[in-house]
Amino acid sequence: MRIYLDHNAGSPMRPAVRDAIAGVGAAVHGNPASIHRAGQRARRALEQAREQVAALFGAPPRAVVFTSGGTESNNLAIFGTAQAAGGNRKRIVTSAIEHSSVMAPLAELEGRGFEVTRIAPNRDGHIDPEALAAAIHNDVALVTLGLVNAEVGTIQGVAAIAQASSRAGAMFHLDAAQAVGRIAVRVDDLRCDLMTISAHKIGGPAGIGALYVRPGVNLAPIMLGGPQESGLRAGTPNLIGAIGFGVAAEEVSSAIEDECARVEMLAEVLLNHLIGAIPGLRLNGPRHGRVANTLNLTFPGVLGESMLIALDLEGVEVSMGSACAAGAVEPSHVLTAMGHSSAEARSSLRISLGWSTSAKEIAHAAEIISRVWRRVAGAEPAFDAEAAR
Amino acid sequence: MSARVLVAMSGGVDSSVAAALLREQGYEVVGIAMRLTPEGPRATTRRRGTCCSYEDFEDARRVAERMDFPFYVIDLRADFAARVVGNFVSEYLGGRTPNPCVMCNREIKFDRLWSRARALEADFVATGHYARIERDADGAFHLKRAIDSTKDQSYFLFTLGQSELARTLFPLGSMEKTEVRERARALGLRNADKPESQEICFVPDGDYASFVERAAPPGEIRRGSIVTGDGRAIANHNGVHNFTVGQRRGLGIAAGTPLYVREIRAATGEVVVGSRDQLNSAGLIAEQVRMVDPAWFEPARFDDGEIALEVKIRYRHPALPAKLRMLSGERAEVRFEHGGPAVTPGQACVFYRGDEVLGGGFIERAVEG
Repeated sequence: MRIYLDHNAGSPMRPAVRDAIAGVGAAVHGNPASIHRAGQRARRALEQAREQVAALFGAPPRAVVFTSGGTESNNLAIFGTAQAAGGNRKRIVTSAIEHSSVMAPLAELEGRGFEVTRIAPNRDGHIDPEALAAAIHNDVALVTLGLVNAEVGTIQGVAAIAQASSRAGAMFHLDAAQAVGRIAVRVDDLRCDLMTISAHKIGGPAGIGALYVRPGVNLAPIMLGGPQESGLRAGTPNLIGAIGFGVAAEEVSSAIEDECARVEMLAEVLLNHLIGAIPGLRLNGPRHGRVANTLNLTFPGVLGESMLIALDLEGVEVSMGSACAAGAVEPSHVLTAMGHSSAEARSSLRISLGWSTSAKEIAHAAEIISRVWRRVAGAEPAFDAEAAR
Repeated sequence: MSARVLVAMSGGVDSSVAAALLREQGYEVVGIAMRLTPEGPRATTRRRGTCCSYEDFEDARRVAERMDFPFYVIDLRADFAARVVGNFVSEYLGGRTPNPCVMCNREIKFDRLWSRARALEADFVATGHYARIERDADGAFHLKRAIDSTKDQSYFLFTLGQSELARTLFPLGSMEKTEVRERARALGLRNADKPESQEICFVPDGDYASFVERAAPPGEIRRGSIVTGDGRAIANHNGVHNFTVGQRRGLGIAAGTPLYVREIRAATGEVVVGSRDQLNSAGLIAEQVRMVDPAWFEPARFDDGEIALEVKIRYRHPALPAKLRMLSGERAEVRFEHGGPAVTPGQACVFYRGDEVLGGGFIERAVEG
């Protein structure tokens, strides 16, 4: 039995999504930009998907730009804003715990003359909204922040940030890839200009995402070569992906409350079992103010890398930090930014539940994780030298 | 349930075939590649912001995919830096010539990897080394040379004891290298014709002296003089780490007769040179001596305090007949039966009897006639 507990990396496709993709694969073909009837049918399917996705976060359909996923959405938001911004706006404000698809474009912009202000989190992974808002002045082109942190699940408060961005005339971008489907996400409440979402984080297919672009904001495309997506993203759209994305969005829209309540209950069961079985186990991130599906745990006296492999061999799939190009795990930069030692980060795993997680799986996983921890701690003890000092 | 074996995979032909053979034999194979150095042995595609895109690991991963067993890359950089590279640098700075492959086997493959194997409930660790392990009727394990004498790597494995050998597999020990390559091709392994790695993996350009200089703690470089046997200084040098005993070229001296490094005195920075015949030694003192089977330390094995055996003092040297006498504190004196070649402090000195590795140690110093 394989138990998949890595939904923050990507959820399995929902059955309705699989069915929809299988169904349209035969029925829909052609290029939505074509004049003929096949093109018209394709266009109708694409626009229906756009409506479904837009409804998920209360946006008008024309505000949804389909992209190849969260990474492209973040790149479009950041480079598109930087390129469209006036010459007197050369600063970007963000946090120190962003996803690499935000951090790397910002590092690139630093090399092109932008100044990036990175606000550090507290030990729970919260970014003080007042501190971030205070850094937003009239020279700021872009404020970009992850609404929910992928690794620890901290939910950021953004009201003050939205207000300060608006007052300073800065673009406000939220990376909501980990938020959608886990908490209610409405663009009117969040008052953001741009928002990233990703299909496979909500049980849609991988390879498609969207950027919400509030009508009227000034964004430059980074992909050129056609008028698709209101001129903001050239290229024939991923139609099959969009159809799957639309169905996933519709499922989430109708099921989010029940699903979140069920996942929260299962995560509590797992956490309570592990706390009881593993002395010294620690939950990283806040006890409250966190998406319930994400459990980032520091396991005392073991290397997370060993736990990860041992659990995989036992059929439990979890994750740790990020994988490098060679496939080795790197300790989480989010945990170290939150003030944990690198040894603690090396002893930490992320367990993330989702729509497919069952009570039976959680009961099994709880038992397996406790047992594997005891074995790994006995066979290959890791000593937290920094903590001891 | 079949036995689980953790196979150390480098992406090279040998470890790939070892893993594939074990899989075919019905073991539950878990492939492990060890990330040991910051850059990787042959980092061909160095992308911005990453430093670990090993092409070799991709080769190993393909083997795992093809043979359908799980494969993981584990990060042992900190251990490797501290226990292997650190030792390499301090040995050179101390005027010795280290053998990092022996250290890596002892400290990484058969220590850290074994801990990991226990954590992963593996019954065995396997590598692509060319050596054999045999178990006798009494249950004792013996470490033996590979069938392919040109590939034999038993020299690097003398630190393995009974408990390690009991849980180690060397699937290639009874195969010829040509056979291994054929197996690799038959298995469709992409790396079947990959060239062999020769250099020390963390010094890919082979320039050990520059590596030591970059890694040395400030003030640890021992500069000094090149002196003759009678103590006459004939030149200055930029650090004892530039020399190895037996070395001829690169001394920077024009002399009538060829000069060789006879001895390195790190404390005073003196590098003693002499003629070729002055290199020869009568024997050596070995330290950190251990036997594959501790029964070899029993007095009954000794004849008048000595054991007759053969000794190999460098990987590529032939084994020479010698007499071993144990001294106190894990040290031993080895005397060559017919006089011996230059003895290089820091190198492994491995005891054989025929095909069997009895044990070994590290060369502390030469013993004069």
